[in-house]
Amino acid sequence: MNSGDEPQTSCEDVLSEVWLFLDNECDQERRATLRRHLDECGSCLEHYGIEEHLKELLHRKCGGEHAPAELHNRLRSSIRENVLRQADVTVESGPEGTSVEVRQKPASSAE
Amino acid sequence: MPGTRGQEDTAENARPETAAGEQRPQATTQQAAESERSETAEERVARFERDAMPLLDQLYGAALRMTRNSADAEDLVQETYLKAYSAFKSYTRGTNLKAWLYRILTNTYINGYRKRQRQPQQQPTDEIADWQLAQAESHTSSGLRSAELEALDRLPDTDVKNALQQLAEEFRMVVYLADVEGFAYKEIAEIMDTPIGTVMSRLHRGRRQLRGMLTDVARDRGFLRAGNQEVSAS
Repeated sequence: MNSGDEPQTSCEDVLSEVWLFLDNECDQERRATLRRHLDECGSCLEHYGIEEHLKELLHRKCGGEHAPAELHNRLRSSIRENVLRQADVTVESGPEGTSVEVRQKPASSAE
Repeated sequence: MPGTRGQEDTAENARPETAAGEQRPQATTQQAAESERSETAEERVARFERDAMPLLDQLYGAALRMTRNSADAEDLVQETYLKAYSAFKSYTRGTNLKAWLYRILTNTYINGYRKRQRQPQQQPTDEIADWQLAQAESHTSSGLRSAELEALDRLPDTDVKNALQQLAEEFRMVVYLADVEGFAYKEIAEIMDTPIGTVMSRLHRGRRQLRGMLTDVARDRGFLRAGNQEVSAS
């Protein structure tokens, strides 16, 4: 198909696909067609602008949560702990102090 | 005889093909297994911390929207990360880690967590005062005007979050994943284990309802005139 003589896209079509366009879910060719219509049609463009604004508003107002630092630390240490539990840990106390040796258990290679 | 020669040819040609066909996948599997085996537990932890931990804030945000309170969200995220770590060996490098983590989060929530949660279970969508939803959705038929967007912009974050919380779970998660997190429909379908068509229809309904709710809140706050009329200059 030649993009030069494509049929006119109606406002109705554009409005029904406005979310697909907004979410970047149409193929390249369709996207270009819709964009051309939006460039030329003020009322569709206004409608699209509102949808775009709302999506951005949700992102701005509902995103950006921060996990408590304490959760972050707790996770790190429990993952580390998990690794140690899966490994052979040898603790030797001698006159020069305590040494800890960690060796991976061979269990993983048997899988 | 031509027939016999033909058969011989076929047999000869078939042999190397079969051999190559059998060898190739084996080699690939071996290579993959070796590269996995060569990673020590320490290296895996380091890789997990480098790649997965930076997504903690985002997953916590999603968990908050699911559980609707911070204590449960923390527990859910913790369970998700521990599961993700123990399955990290099977995660294929180069694929979408964020979507992979969200899938574990969603599964953990749906398959176990939600059942244990003490909060009263939200009613199924159809039973949630249908008139309320109908009312909320009807706002969009008239359509929002640009002037009304300014009113929505002025809403405090908590108002918008609360409106999102009021959506039924299946709508809430799809809207959250698409609009707050920016996931593609295909990714949402994978995360929620639903067909793409379901994602789209939930997204449409969810957005419509949310819009109606936000308009109501803005009106209650006095940012919008009653009756959804345009604010006049007087």
